[in-house]
Amino acid sequence: MPDQEGILAQLKQRFGPDGIVRQLTADGILTVWVPPEQVRAVLSSLRDDVSPPFRMLYDLTAVDERQRQVRPDQPPGDFTVVYRLLSLEGNADCRVKVALTGETPAIGTVTDLWPNAAWYECELWDMFGIRVEGHPHLRRLLMPPWWEGHPLRKEHPARATEMAPFRLPEERMALLQETLEFRPEDWGWPPPGPDQDDLYLNLGPHHPGTHGVLRVICRVCGETIRDAICDIGFHHRGAEKMGERQSWHTYIPYTDRVDYLGGAMNNLPYVLAVEHLAGIEVPERAQVIRILLAELFRIISHLVFMGTFAQDVGMMSPVFYMFTDRERALDIVENITGARMHPSWFRIGGVAQDLPKGWEQLLGDFIELLERRLNEYEQAVLRNRIFRARTVGVGALDVGTAIAWGATGPMLRSTGLAWDLRRQRPYGGYDQFEFDIPIGKQGDCYDRAVVHMEEMRQSLRILRQCLQNMPAGPYKSDHPLATPPRRAQTLRDIETLIHHFLSVSWGPVIPPGEAEGRVEGTKGLYSYYLVSDGGTMSYRTRIRAASFPHVQMLPMLCRGLMVADLIAILASLDFVLADVDR
Amino acid sequence: MSIHTIGVIIKDWLIGLLAGWGVPVELSRLLIEVLTWAVGAALCIIAIMLAALVFIYLERKVSGYIQSRLGPTRCGPVGILQSFVDVIKLLLKEDIVPAEADRVLHTIGPILFLAVSALAYVVVPWDEGGTVAGKVDAGVGVLFMAAVGSMGLIGIVVGGWGSNNKWSLLGAIRGAAQMVSYEIPMLLALMCVVLQAETLSLAGIVEDQKGSIIAWNFLRPWMWLPVVLFLISGVAEINRTPFDIPEAESELVSGFHTEYTGMKFALFFLAEYGNLLLVALIFSVLFLGGWLSPFGYPDPLRLPGIIWLLAKSLLIVLIVMWVRWTLPRLRVDQLMGLAWKLMIPAGFVALGVMCAVIMLGWA
Amino acid sequence: MALEYGPVAVLLTFGVALGVAAMVTAWLLRPSDPYAAKQAVYECGMEPIGPAWSQFYARYYLIALVFVVFDVEAIFLFPWAAVFKQLSAATAMGAVPLVEVAVFIVILLIGLAYAWRKGDLEWTR
Repeated sequence: MPDQEGILAQLKQRFGPDGIVRQLTADGILTVWVPPEQVRAVLSSLRDDVSPPFRMLYDLTAVDERQRQVRPDQPPGDFTVVYRLLSLEGNADCRVKVALTGETPAIGTVTDLWPNAAWYECELWDMFGIRVEGHPHLRRLLMPPWWEGHPLRKEHPARATEMAPFRLPEERMALLQETLEFRPEDWGWPPPGPDQDDLYLNLGPHHPGTHGVLRVICRVCGETIRDAICDIGFHHRGAEKMGERQSWHTYIPYTDRVDYLGGAMNNLPYVLAVEHLAGIEVPERAQVIRILLAELFRIISHLVFMGTFAQDVGMMSPVFYMFTDRERALDIVENITGARMHPSWFRIGGVAQDLPKGWEQLLGDFIELLERRLNEYEQAVLRNRIFRARTVGVGALDVGTAIAWGATGPMLRSTGLAWDLRRQRPYGGYDQFEFDIPIGKQGDCYDRAVVHMEEMRQSLRILRQCLQNMPAGPYKSDHPLATPPRRAQTLRDIETLIHHFLSVSWGPVIPPGEAEGRVEGTKGLYSYYLVSDGGTMSYRTRIRAASFPHVQMLPMLCRGLMVADLIAILASLDFVLADVDR
Repeated sequence: MSIHTIGVIIKDWLIGLLAGWGVPVELSRLLIEVLTWAVGAALCIIAIMLAALVFIYLERKVSGYIQSRLGPTRCGPVGILQSFVDVIKLLLKEDIVPAEADRVLHTIGPILFLAVSALAYVVVPWDEGGTVAGKVDAGVGVLFMAAVGSMGLIGIVVGGWGSNNKWSLLGAIRGAAQMVSYEIPMLLALMCVVLQAETLSLAGIVEDQKGSIIAWNFLRPWMWLPVVLFLISGVAEINRTPFDIPEAESELVSGFHTEYTGMKFALFFLAEYGNLLLVALIFSVLFLGGWLSPFGYPDPLRLPGIIWLLAKSLLIVLIVMWVRWTLPRLRVDQLMGLAWKLMIPAGFVALGVMCAVIMLGWA
Repeated sequence: MALEYGPVAVLLTFGVALGVAAMVTAWLLRPSDPYAAKQAVYECGMEPIGPAWSQFYARYYLIALVFVVFDVEAIFLFPWAAVFKQLSAATAMGAVPLVEVAVFIVILLIGLAYAWRKGDLEWTR
């Protein structure tokens, strides 16, 4: 484990014991409060001077504290801005919190320290109405520009029934449409016109190459992209706001739909966070079942990645083969959980049910089949010379840039850094498994594809180990907050029956506190940062999704390349729009 | 009995008939001549339409099998009526023209593309003496084919520009650059065949290969480079994967025909399949002995030459389809680089080899 | 002479007629219900930013120029190609027809090499 005390001592030495106030959290991550005027200095010294240095801005968000009841030993404030830093070389975490007061508080930008702060800070403004001073383009990011109010503030309604009926007459639609229009002046681009060499292209939201509703505004000269701007938010569904009105238990199905290709993988960081808060130990068998499903979903997601990548560079056939294999994997998921893409299978304290009879046979056959098929895919796609010509050296990324922009997962590993959370910070039982961490060399589109391919092989290896070493025992914890309690128990003793009744009617009451659950997801690091106020619902649910910083990199990656490269880069980013917009 | 002989018999009979009605021989000869052209032209148009119907079905079936699917199965036995149903659907579709488009250009584009793609068919030697414009072919067949073949891009550019859509514009410009660039290696490959056959007539090129399969051009080692060059540039000329960048759906939505629906779109499609057949026919003529039987001349099986020609073309079409569903697409700069930096120098090498072969007296 | 191209004219007429006939048939059969949103130019579901009818990239023009040079060259070479065997077979001529054309081609190739070296064959700068 990293030396938290050491980092804290270094900070206190620099900024004095009063400037740095420590807060203890359920997840054990070093959390410090700093006064607003010092935040920049603290962050910049955390990035550059402290050992180990925190080179990555992992997440940046806020909490509306105005209705929070239980916050002992915390500075007063209406809003808290939370900077979540990650040190890859030191394998350390740090959370820096700043208390802000007032109706529309303001804070200074950190975009000059971490370029990926740009979107996070837009989100602060968009969702909380916190002004970020010095930000180059502070704007509504996820909500449409005409939206009134800031959705993650407590006074903003979460349900349609709390608002006036929705009407969209023609005139209003035309008006709203107008606000969506792109104004080149805002970005320092010359106005379009027939005498203008550059052409402004709307690539998306309805474009076959964007994998969903992503809008990229390209400024092209001929076919060379001079500059690009991403417009996101078309797929925003308020997943974080939903967390504040669903019980801890009933929120699980929402998590499946964040990275909708990752299915059960998404449940894991959420239930891990809740279990941190509740102090639940998960039995071994449940842990291995979770790993089994998570790795199965990693394969499912990576197969979609490979297929669509090949398709986006013009190869029409591999996607059909990969989807067929993906169907086979989904068949296994269906046999285990009863659902396919969104099983919502993990529970607070374990999984919903034990594995069905005969799962070994199904899984064993699949592993054997896919091992052979992956070799074929490698031959057909990765070794194809045109595919290589289209992807080698395109959209290359070096380790430093990747870290500075918050790239994680295959995206980071393709640059040559073997950093995998399953290995660095084994969670949920991964320390019991043997697997390698595949890496790339130059971080281009081709390397990203290679890393994905190799990760599928490693996942198969993990699956084989699950198959051979499935421990016996209960599939869910007997902790009173495990929801719902195991059926056998509820039928036997009144105590559990009462728990069942309460947890199902109102939902479990999770003790107040803060915790983050993190996993090495299909596309990178996923985490849920949960704040409990001691109720049946989360006070604040923050979803850190891997695709968000990855898509933010797009303009940087595609500048100077061609439109076709932009599509190849988009395909290689392995993003899901639901994940970007949440 | 070849098509030519049948034609001569019918002609003679008609002249006799007209003479019986008192029409002057000169006039009746002219009338008959025009009638022959019309019949020939109609047959060419029918060939294009049939090619489109058959190839669309074939493409869907072939791609289906390549992608471990079944392809169309619902319309008629094994889905054989699918193309006809598609035609009906396209006929009944609303024609949507963008308000800001140039309506005239938008309408002319597909017609031009189709009409021009049909033109080159007049010099195709369907059978012994079975060329619609035999005299044109005898004089400048190869040149005519090459000249007309590259005019298709006018239709693409007109349609793409007339749509007033940026995707269409990009697609049209890509298409024009590509078709123009691959014209040159194609011409160089053609030139090698012309050097071999000592004639500019496509029918003459077939005559030159008379004999069984061993006399055909593709078995002559110095023709292997032209074979490859012609096949690649032929696929590029008809905008199919790996050279489908003018439509490149994952990049340019639908490329130059983004703003086309219904029948106008169908005309583009029709012409594209017409071009596919044309390239396959020309390839068969140049390198696979055209209408000749592989077993020698005259054909011991006594099959009409057109059957052999179509069989060879079908083989080429299937290869082109196989390539389309297997390979990714090149990027526009790689595509241009391939043409200018590899194919054109290779074309000159092929030409040099051909000259050397002739000087050495091997040809 | 002009009569030789009769079939070409007939086929051109037929081709145009086919296109027109198909469009007229469709026009008789198809529904028509245009409105502003349907008739908007497609730019991925958003209002287009600026016109599509604008200047386009001069590089394209260079490719076109080089193409014209080589296309014209090909036209010159075809008649030569048709008789080359005959000419070289005639003992009097010997290597003359080959050398003459070689000189012609080499001059062109020098041009190509020059354009290549100058980077005019690159699609992007």
